[in-house]
Order: sequence, then structure tokens, then C-alpha cells
Amino acid sequence: MKSFFSSVKLTLALLIVIALAAVLGTVIPQQEAADTFTSRLSPGMVSVFQKLQLFDIYHSVWFMILMGLLSINLIVCSLNRLPASWKLFRGKSVLDEYDVFRDLPPEQTIMSERTRSDEASRLEGILKKNYRRVERKEAQKGVFLTGEKGNASYLGVYVIHFSILVILTGMIVGFFFGFDAYVSVAEGQSVDTVELKGGKGFKKLDFAVRCDRFTVEYYEDGTPKAYRSELTFTRNGNTIHQGAVLVNHPATVEGVRFYQASYGTVPSGDALIVVRKGRDRTHVMRIGAGQEFDLPGKEGRAKIIRVEGNFMRMGPAVKMQIQSAKRDVQFWVFQNIDEMEAAHPGLKEQVPIFDPGLFNPYVFSLITIQPRHYTGLQVNRDPGVPIVIGGSFLLVSGFMFVFFYSHRRVWIGVAQEGAKTKISIAGRSNKDRVGLDREISRLIGEIRKTGS
Amino acid sequence: MMIMINTTILSWVTFIYFVAFVCYFISAIRHTNLWGRVASVTVLVGLVAHTVGLIIRWVESYKMGIGHAPLSNFYESLIFFSWTIVLLYVVFEWRIKHRSLGVFVVPMAFLAMAFASLSPNINSRIQPLIPALQSNWLTSHVMTCFMGYAAFAIAFGLGCMYLLKSLDRNPAESSKSFLRYLPSSDSLDELIYQSVVLGFVFLSLGIITGSIWAHYAWGSYWSWDPKETWSLITWLIYAAMLHSRFVRGWRGKRMAVLAIIGFAAVIFTYLGVNYLPGLHSYLQS
Ligand code: HEM
Repeated sequence: MKSFFSSVKLTLALLIVIALAAVLGTVIPQQEAADTFTSRLSPGMVSVFQKLQLFDIYHSVWFMILMGLLSINLIVCSLNRLPASWKLFRGKSVLDEYDVFRDLPPEQTIMSERTRSDEASRLEGILKKNYRRVERKEAQKGVFLTGEKGNASYLGVYVIHFSILVILTGMIVGFFFGFDAYVSVAEGQSVDTVELKGGKGFKKLDFAVRCDRFTVEYYEDGTPKAYRSELTFTRNGNTIHQGAVLVNHPATVEGVRFYQASYGTVPSGDALIVVRKGRDRTHVMRIGAGQEFDLPGKEGRAKIIRVEGNFMRMGPAVKMQIQSAKRDVQFWVFQNIDEMEAAHPGLKEQVPIFDPGLFNPYVFSLITIQPRHYTGLQVNRDPGVPIVIGGSFLLVSGFMFVFFYSHRRVWIGVAQEGAKTKISIAGRSNKDRVGLDREISRLIGEIRKTGS
Repeated sequence: MMIMINTTILSWVTFIYFVAFVCYFISAIRHTNLWGRVASVTVLVGLVAHTVGLIIRWVESYKMGIGHAPLSNFYESLIFFSWTIVLLYVVFEWRIKHRSLGVFVVPMAFLAMAFASLSPNINSRIQPLIPALQSNWLTSHVMTCFMGYAAFAIAFGLGCMYLLKSLDRNPAESSKSFLRYLPSSDSLDELIYQSVVLGFVFLSLGIITGSIWAHYAWGSYWSWDPKETWSLITWLIYAAMLHSRFVRGWRGKRMAVLAIIGFAAVIFTYLGVNYLPGLHSYLQS
């Protein structure tokens, strides 16, 4: 069992199978997109597909099992190998034989006029500048210096593998403790319940969101430049946050993020009306169907019952209701009332319900009907995000260790040869032979330059 | 719409890359250093002009009042892809001191440029950024992705060279054939590995920056949109390739074949996916 989970063959097989499953998911329409696709399949096929969860592969049980197997594989494998890598990481070089200098290319030995001990301390200094760990040993044949760096590259793989587990953990946390929802809010409206994606019902938030205004800005050529929702978040009537949400600029309120996702117009729109009492008082207001307001002199309460873009083919109109202590009246306010009266003199008297001054001394007029927007907000909470970001950082730093860093050891032997001192330089690397060769020639250059 | 100076420069660059390719080809067939040097100089001239063209395009977009890095539509991405291929190629040529790779890689840069300039469906105008693209992450995302793609393109070229080289039955013979001119199989294998590693790191960075951007723009760092999914598939293929080398010690021909398969996945991630619906399909401009 353990050998099954620690085998790299399993890793390769899982990586390929997961890749194939992912391909399948881009070929078969998933989730909502599957609805139109199923109508082209026979019912038998549909039920087979559904049993295999082929319409939601990335959330299917078998896909989760594959990811689980991958994680177990990763953990077992890493635990298996870690002790050996740890030894390599900690391990001191046991080689102190002159073996390492056998078959050395001629350019890796230098003859010097100085004494052995002079050279040894000079070279030790050079090594100390270039290596993290430098050792000096007096051997029979001469002084033996070791320079070492990059042991940490043995552990980079574990950082990478661990980071993948961290990322998967973050995704799981998001899956279980987060939610993914949508809500549309008309201008002026306030909502506190959002609809969970995938038909999973509704969720009530701890606060309400109100859309104060929604605007679209355009470039000169007519393509959209910015979608902007001005939102106010309230709890028990108190504002807890206020700000604009644009594409690429979400707002975060108590861990819940609001994203600009879509927009549209509410069918009826808002009426821009003027309220006049006699000569002196005028009032302009923007108001939608179903909304109410007090008359300026508090003689009654007005309500907009209907907002019509083109009522009875006579243009824009709103139907109002006014309730007061004395009476309760309903009438229409037409935007084009002057033209209508010119065409039909005496209209207001014949059809009192068309008289905008029916509730005297107040007279109402309709300036225009403005379209009212709603904004479509995506509402998410994902406590796994910081974990995923942390994992990504780890992944990238692991790459640095594994790919751009190698364990390098360099040995320098300093021995008496006749009247001269012979310096031999050899090196070893766990990978990146080319880089090591370059480093050795650089060292030799440095030794020659400072030696003359 | 007036013809912009940048598109003129960029069509010249296309031509220069073609000339460079022809020079590399002649140099590889005739084993002459002179043609090789001409090729190297030509490709460098092309790269400089290409860089200037990109900068001018960037500046022109600011003059139009819609300033943004030239990385926002399909035309610009092809031009940038080509630029990264040539840039990486020049670095590789300088490091390995060998010019035969140019025969395989420079034509890819040329084809990307030619496709961008000549295809009737590709709009070369500078367009304003739609709201979803107005993010600082766009630049880092596109740059890292295309560095990765370019490194994989080079691995692909090297893989083809390796397979061609393995057609050479008796390498000891000292004929002056084209195959003899290619670097040794061992060094090709090492270079494939190095370029795949480079591509893998950049692709990972590209996926990470893309996820951060998606987190801001779409409310989810990962939504299994086809382009995302295909970049993951590509990542998994190269991860499998690296593991088969690290742990199982695969070398040579298998690596060459995997480099070619991996690049096919890259190309599908870049181009094929645009024919599937998804968030990234803005590239179909
Ligand atoms: C996709 C998730 C990954 C899984 C499931 C995975 C799994 C494994 C396994 C099971 C091993 C063998 C363990 C051993 O024998 O030491 C291994 C080794 C290795 N993996 Fe991964 N790996 C993954 C990602 C990566 C990545 C992204 C890299 C970096 C490129 C990487 C680099 C390595 C290296 C260098 C080794 C060799 C270790 C050695 O020789 O000691 N792995 N991986």
C-alpha cells in the first residue's frame, strides 16, 4: 500500500488522468451550459452522463478522489524521501582525500611561488568570500580547503510540493466555508438577501446593500469605458460602508466581496415630476412606481401607482394617488398635457381623471421619464483566498530553490611540489554542471589575478 | 482609420525576420559562418525595430487618450508573442554560441507576425480597454504567460532538432550534412530541459497572476473557464514531463516528443480555446 502511494508512476498517471478529465470538462458543456446540450442527447445518454457527473466534472466526486489521491501520493512520497534529503542538506563533505583532484584538467592546477601556508590562508579568504560554509583541514599532502553553498536546494522540492498542498487546502476551505452568489439591485432599492449560484437557494446577509446610482461611461467610439455602482451598506439603518464598485475594483464589507457583474434597466423607470402649490411652492423630485412622499405642505401623502412610457398612445404618464384626511383621489399626469388640451379643449373638465390639478391647490406636471438602472452584483465570500495566495508565494520561492540554485562544493588542495606550491581546484554540483564549470573558471581567474 | 506608423514598422519587422530565417537556413546548409553572422545581425536589427514598434504603439495609444500597454487584443498578443520568442532566442543563441536553433525558432516568430498582419479577421487598430481589462495585473499576466509560451516554443524547436538529429545514423562520419551541423544530442537534451524549466516557471507565474486578476475582475480566482483549464492542462503536461526526468530519469527522444506535445497544448491554450466560449474570448476581436 505504501509503495503504491509512494510511486512516481502513480504521480505521472494521476497528472495525466487529471489533465484528461480537465480536457473533457472543456469539451462537454458544464453546469448551466449543459442544459441546452442535454436536449440534443437521448434520455439514456443524459442519465449515463449524469451518473458519471460529466456535467459538473470539476466538482464531481471522482474528480475530488483524483485530487485526494494526488495529495496522498505527494505526502507519502515526501515523507519517504525527506530523511535522505535532510541528510544531504545537513551533511558535511566527508571527502578529504586527494581523490577529488585525480584526472584534473591542466587548467585547474596553478603553480605558485609563495609558501604553502601563505597560499592556504589567501585561498581560504577567497573561498570565504564566495561560499557560505568553508572548512580547512591539514592533511598529509597539504592543506585541504572546502567551500560549500546551496545545500538548501535539496529542500526546494519539498517547498514546491508543500505549496501545492497549501493551495489545495485553500481551495477546500473556500469550498466549504465560502459562498458564491448573485443579486441585482435597482437604483434606490435596498436588499439583504442574495441568490446562491447553482440553484442552491438564498442567503441572508448580516447587512443590506443599497444601490444609490448606476452609470455607464463610454469612450468616444462608443465602447463602454466603465460600469460604476455607487453602493451604501447599512445595518439597522446605520451606514457601515459606502463606496463605488467598478469592474476590477470590488468592495469588501465584513469579508464579503461585491463585484460589478452586469446591469440593466428596470421596466418602468423613474418619473421626474414637479409639484406646485399655487404660485409659490415648487418641488422637483425623481420617483419610481410604488414610492410615496409627503406633499410639501403636509396636506396629504402622494403615491406613484404606475409609470408608463406611452400611455394610451398619448406619451409618458404617471398615475398618482393622493390620500389626505378629507379625500382620496387618483389621477393621471401626462407629460404632454398642454398639447392634449390644445387638441381637445375642455379635456380636463370632461375627463377629470386626466386633470393634474385635481387635488387643488396642488398641480403636478411630468417633465420626463428616466430609465432606472439596476446593477448586477456578484457576491462572494472566500476565506481560502489568503491560503491560496500564501501557497502561490511558496510555490514560486520553491522554484527559485530548485531551478536557479544548486548545491555546489569546491575543493582546493594546496601542496608542496619541489620549490613551488601546487594549487588544485575541483568541484561538484548536484545539478547544473555548466554553472559549476563557469564558477570554477571564475574562481581560477580570481586566484590568478590576486596571486600575481 | 489612418495607418499607424507602428503597423508599418511591424510589417517591416515581419519581412526582416523572414530574411533572417533564410540566412540561418543558408548558413546551416552550407556551414558558413559568414551567413550565420549575417543572420544574427539581421535578427538583432529585427528585434530592435520590433521593440521600437511596440514602444511607438504604446505611445500612440496615449496620444489617442486611451493609453495602455500593447497587450490588449489578439493582434497585440501575436506581436508580443513574436517579440518574446525572438528575445529569448537571441539570449539562447548568445549563451549556447550556436546558430542552428535559428532555423527552427525564427520562422515561428515570422509566422506569428505574418498571421497578425495578414489575417483579414485580425484588427490591428489600437482599441480602448474594455472595463474587464483595466487592471495592472493584465500587464504582468500577459507578459509572464507569453514569456512562458516563448520558452516552450524554443523547447519545441529544440525537440524538432533532437528528432532530426536522431535520424543521423552514423554520427562519427564527418560529412558536411545539415544534421552534422546541429549541436550534439546531449546538449540538445540539456537545452530542452532548461527551456522547459524556464517556461514552466513563467507559466506558473502566468497562472498565478491571472488568478489574482480574476479574483479582482470576476470575483473568483479560479472559475474553470476553458482558457484557465487549458493552461492548467498545459501545466500538468509539463509537470509530468519534468517528473519523468527528475525521478524516472527519462532523457533524449522521450523528452523531445514531450516538448512537442507540450507545445501543442500551449498553442491550443493560446489559439484553440478562443473557439470555445468563455471569459477570455475577448481575444476574438
Ligand atoms: C502537481 C503536483 C505535484 C505532484 C503530485 C508531485 C508529486 C511528486 C512525487 C510523488 C515525487 C516523487 C517524490 C520522491 O520520490 O521524492 C515528486 C518528485 C519531484 N517533484 Fe513533484 N509533484 C508535483 C509538482 C511538482 C512541481 C510543480 C515541481 C517543480 C517543477 C516538482 C518537482 C519535483 C522534483 C524536482 C522531484 C524530484 C525529487 C527528488 O528527486 O528528490 N513537483 N513529485
